[in-house]
Amino acid sequence: MTPLPEPAADAPSKLGGVGLGLRWEFLEDIVDGPALPLDFLEVSPENYMRRGGYYPAQLEQLVGRYPLVTHGLTLSIGASVEPDAAYLGELRCEIARTRSPFHSDHLCFSSAGPRALHELLPLKHCAQTVARVADRVRRVQDALGVPFALENITYYMHPGQPELSELELIHGVLERSGAGLLLDVNNVYVNSLNHGFDAHAFIRGLDLSRVVEIHVAGHSRRPSGLVLDTHGAPLVDPVLELLAYTLERSGPRPVLLERDNHIPPLSELLAEVRALRAVYDASLPRWEASHASSA
Amino acid sequence: MQAALESVLGELLLGDEPTRTALEQLCQERGIAAPDTAALLESFERLLVYRELTRGNLREAIELSIPRSMARLGPLFDEYFARFLSERAPRTHYLRDVTTELLDFCEPLWAADPRIPGYLPELARHESLHIEVSALPSLPRGHVPAALQLEQGVELGAALRLARYRHAVHELPDTALDRSEPSRRELALLVYRSPEHEVRYLELSALAGHIVERLVAGDSLGDAVRGAAQQLGSELTEAVLASAAALLADLAERGVVWGPKA
Repeated sequence: MTPLPEPAADAPSKLGGVGLGLRWEFLEDIVDGPALPLDFLEVSPENYMRRGGYYPAQLEQLVGRYPLVTHGLTLSIGASVEPDAAYLGELRCEIARTRSPFHSDHLCFSSAGPRALHELLPLKHCAQTVARVADRVRRVQDALGVPFALENITYYMHPGQPELSELELIHGVLERSGAGLLLDVNNVYVNSLNHGFDAHAFIRGLDLSRVVEIHVAGHSRRPSGLVLDTHGAPLVDPVLELLAYTLERSGPRPVLLERDNHIPPLSELLAEVRALRAVYDASLPRWEASHASSA
Repeated sequence: MQAALESVLGELLLGDEPTRTALEQLCQERGIAAPDTAALLESFERLLVYRELTRGNLREAIELSIPRSMARLGPLFDEYFARFLSERAPRTHYLRDVTTELLDFCEPLWAADPRIPGYLPELARHESLHIEVSALPSLPRGHVPAALQLEQGVELGAALRLARYRHAVHELPDTALDRSEPSRRELALLVYRSPEHEVRYLELSALAGHIVERLVAGDSLGDAVRGAAQQLGSELTEAVLASAAALLADLAERGVVWGPKA
């Protein structure tokens, strides 16, 4: 049996600043262009794993030029069955190739037995879910060889009668597993609109010391009033404000802009990154001030 | 609970158009507790949103791969897409592989369906080969350049597929609006990825098709040429050897032939 690759020894120990989710639509611009004001790039490993050809070759050229971090879509960590061992093996190789300092995926399930649904579905908020996911996180972390983080998802309904709040579910899993939190601020905002809760109170209720990365993205509203996490529109001010609110309490955490649909030219995304950096830079002195006063 | 929930949601997202009554019955059959069933029924409209999103994602991935075949199939595509989701469903972690799974499921059904033109399965497979070949894993080029030997196999670039068609689907215009029918002709088409990562197509003669097929299967060069000639009822003549040499030289220039197998 081929030994699994070890995590890259020269992987950055931590990320910082403001980054961008790498997408094929502008991959070539980034590879061929000059160095951009991006502190890191986030990679969807499923787009590069278990394949050859143009895209992995392009990604290879970015290793070392930008810090890369992997963020998966199809682990289905909350499913009733264990993740596919072959997938985990390939994922470990991809993490090593990109020298990602940690790997993240979503606190959800995206499969039904052998069927791959390719959609992030909410888990039941209950003690059984906490126990199952926490156990699995530990095994996944061992299999991947790098620290693991879970992202809070957008959910449009709860599958059944909840026995815990979302905060209790998140904290339960993180505390029992030792995983980090990839805090998606847009998801908090979208959920607050769809389920009628106070997004700021939700942020205050989180253990922000566990946050290893923050995501922001755009969303859209349907005529029915339901807000969908489309990653297909520019950021809106309330999300930027919630990001600032979070950073003032969490301190410096890597912030990532995600865009998956209606992807504009790279220049427009870089303008959004600049806006995020302004929020980032303005928030940190306030965190430092509050940190100093509480110390 | 999670396994039962997956079973219910899997059915709801991938199965026939659901109703509240059907959802309630499904929950009972799968052992979902009464309070959870009530909550799911209360969220029925939101569950339909997930159904729409799931099916939309998968359909979009397939449309990227076989747009011309989907356009030609029209409503028949939707019928078979629904059957695929309901009776088989994707198994892969990789959206790029969903089309291959769909075609594996549909091809025998299409062959038996008089509403589907005979060339359509070949067109769909031909379209899907583009993404498939563009993404095939690459093998490390560890060989030492050397002359090919008759008693040895030939190292071929790993990123290739040899397609056999009964219709010249590769000659159809590259637009989803076109409805012309391909000419009927038995042919072998080599689909390969160039060293520059471009997917390229090369129609092969009958002899060349058999040679490549045998080399892919692991025959030595001598056996491949001899066997290919026999398949065509021919002796190993000077002309056959010259054709084989020309084929190998052409494939080497295209980066398909790497050298002798170690």
